[in-house]
Amino acid sequence: MRRSAIIVGCSVALSAAVTSCSAPAATDTAAGQKAPKSGYLATSDASFKGSGPLTVQLDYDTVEAGGLDPQTAATARSWSIESLVYEPLVTIGPKFEVEPLLASSWKQPSATEYVFTLRKGVKFGNGRALTTADVVGSLQRLLKSKAAYAAQLGPVKSVTASGPDQVTVRLTKAYTPFLAALANTPAAILPMKEIDDGSLDIKKEMLGTGPFVVKDHKQDQYWNFTRNTSYRDAENVRISDLKIEIVPQEAARLAALRNGSAAFVNFNNIDSMDQLTGTRDAEAVSQTNSDFYYLIQNSKNPDSPLADQKVRFALNSALNRKEIASVALGGQGRPTGVTPSVLPGACDPAKLPAATARSADPAALKKAGTLRLAVYTSEPAVGQIAQVIQQQLAKAGVTVKIEKYDDTTFNSKVFGAKPDFDLAIGWFAGYVDASMVSRWWNPVQAGFSSTFLNDDKTLDALIDDAGSEPAGADRTKTLAELCARVDSGAQMLPLVTRPSVVGYRTDRVSPTLRAAEGYGNILRDIAHYTLPDAK
Amino acid sequence: MKATAVRVRRALAMRSGDGLLRGAVWVLLALVLATLVGQLTGAGGRPDAIVGPRLQPPGSGWLLGTDNLGRSLLPRLLQGIGTTLLLSTLAVACTAVISTALGVVAGYRGGRTAELILRIGDVLYSFPAIVLAVLVAAVLGPGRTTALAAIVLVTVPLMTRMVGVAARAVARREFVTAARISGVSAPTIMLRHILPNVAGTVAVQGTYALSVGILVEGGLSFLGYGVQLPDASLGLLIQEGGLYMVGAPWLIVAPGVVLVAAIMAINLVGDSLRDRFEPRETRSLV
Repeated sequence: MRRSAIIVGCSVALSAAVTSCSAPAATDTAAGQKAPKSGYLATSDASFKGSGPLTVQLDYDTVEAGGLDPQTAATARSWSIESLVYEPLVTIGPKFEVEPLLASSWKQPSATEYVFTLRKGVKFGNGRALTTADVVGSLQRLLKSKAAYAAQLGPVKSVTASGPDQVTVRLTKAYTPFLAALANTPAAILPMKEIDDGSLDIKKEMLGTGPFVVKDHKQDQYWNFTRNTSYRDAENVRISDLKIEIVPQEAARLAALRNGSAAFVNFNNIDSMDQLTGTRDAEAVSQTNSDFYYLIQNSKNPDSPLADQKVRFALNSALNRKEIASVALGGQGRPTGVTPSVLPGACDPAKLPAATARSADPAALKKAGTLRLAVYTSEPAVGQIAQVIQQQLAKAGVTVKIEKYDDTTFNSKVFGAKPDFDLAIGWFAGYVDASMVSRWWNPVQAGFSSTFLNDDKTLDALIDDAGSEPAGADRTKTLAELCARVDSGAQMLPLVTRPSVVGYRTDRVSPTLRAAEGYGNILRDIAHYTLPDAK
Repeated sequence: MKATAVRVRRALAMRSGDGLLRGAVWVLLALVLATLVGQLTGAGGRPDAIVGPRLQPPGSGWLLGTDNLGRSLLPRLLQGIGTTLLLSTLAVACTAVISTALGVVAGYRGGRTAELILRIGDVLYSFPAIVLAVLVAAVLGPGRTTALAAIVLVTVPLMTRMVGVAARAVARREFVTAARISGVSAPTIMLRHILPNVAGTVAVQGTYALSVGILVEGGLSFLGYGVQLPDASLGLLIQEGGLYMVGAPWLIVAPGVVLVAAIMAINLVGDSLRDRFEPRETRSLV
């Protein structure tokens, strides 16, 4: 009995000592990290020639209704993991410029015509060479599919093989983000011969032209990849075996990076960079993403006060996005409109109607009553944003009740057939063209938002205009109008950009990490990583 | 009932020399007092007010440091203790009423009634506590009611079984048989003869259920099903603090220490009560 007392006493004393003696940890950051001019936060050291395994830890696995089919993949995590195997025709450079990938070059004879020349020597993981039929078949398959991403390709009229190594895509009208839309994993080129003859079930297996092939996968536990020996640049891929472990707990991933059991991890907590301060051989960086958090105001429920645009706009006017970025995200995000503020041509969120309104309409706010705000548990920042919003709206006299759900329940409550929420927070990949993400504000095109968004024909027209106008002053003006329409309609409110924090062991891996990312692909460039401790 | 009161007084008197028991009682009193003072006087400020920079270590403006939104941890901790203790105590009170009623009926009636009650309890008992709690949360949705219902559902089966066994033993005693032969009605026998004699078991099991309740509440809040933001509970604070274990350890150490202290204290009190009511058993903590 006394022994127990001593143990309890010692524990309390020790804990108290630890508490009082702890060094200061994080400090507020005034603004997100400035992107270096090179466009990279880190570049791999080419002097490391060795080859070996690499262990990566991620917070969650790819979970899609369409299985492993990249065309139906709807989340950035699926795009990241599947990009290890699949490649699209083009890719995105460090400053959001479109670069060749499976297409070695392309021409644009007119505003509505693109001619792609395929790269030579490209093979699928089974050794079969890439053909124009694969390209034509893949794009046609995506366009015919009911996948949400098909809407991003724009008004495609035809996809045809126009030569032994050429594919021509014709559009019904000009569509500026077309190349940018082609650069994401859902537009990857699939092995159509194997899919058509039934020898490959694309929902269960992966076979692409990318640097890795899947060895085995246990859902929500791990992925094992090996180097694709048919890959055109296989000799320069230093990672022989890539293990991706799914570790949901942030603290566990942090510990794994500290003790070296993982060489590369992703973090949801923006303070993880500070948590690693002083850890030998560990680095953490924050990528400036075009991804952003948004607040849905469920306007489709006729019994809800949010069916009234005036109430929604008043609530929008009561929000302070700068405060959300600085308090909830420690200064690592920045306010944004529907055109991600980090992209060229994006509108200025400070000039939007709600931001410039003198004050929120008190009569409309009074009508709001008590609102339920749904958040999911897997991302701490979402809960933090919710609490800041709750305080901001409380100051405006609106009571918000936060409801935390696990991811599955959240998805069913918000994106299910019968939405059961007033407000909800989520995030979108912001892509690399300022108009792309706005397509999700058209519920007819997006599909998933049709249960809580009312279709706004004026907004739909602006979305189409922003897509079809060539880059320039007119397009910038259209984008500003688009932002203003979204802001005043206030059905789905862009809030702040979502930073992406990754950590790595400098003694295990020398990564290439871009300062900015548009498709949430934290594994981009992994084929270029080098390994300091490999022989 | 008088007999029970006498037994409790004897139990306390017998253990009065036990420093550990006294310590445990003091810890519990201190926690309750801190909660009351915090709630009634607003000591430490408003739990949801942003008072300074994020993740500041303990200092003059924030005695236990600030959290990831710049809120002072002290008022949040006081709120968390209150929430956790109140929820758990309420839930255990419900458990005690339900389990005692079911246990006494099962013990007195025996036969099919007992089988039915105890087998249903067995089914519930076969689920791991946190799985059962998550199941309740999935049906009722997150919140305090869910936490309360989950704690009750998790703690009822064991308590019912223990009370049932104790009631069965009492029901076989001569005075119960004598009462039955004398024509005393079954409800009266259960209330006046059996209930006072199983009160000790209820008290011991109650303390055990209280510590289980605190753990279940902590687990539920940790998973997001319990107390909702921005309200604090010990589980929620530990969940938030877990992300900052290295860089801002005060966020997990303070609620963690309180949680450990509360559970230890409750277990020690329960252990002591058991010593008195079931003296043949050895104490589990030594």
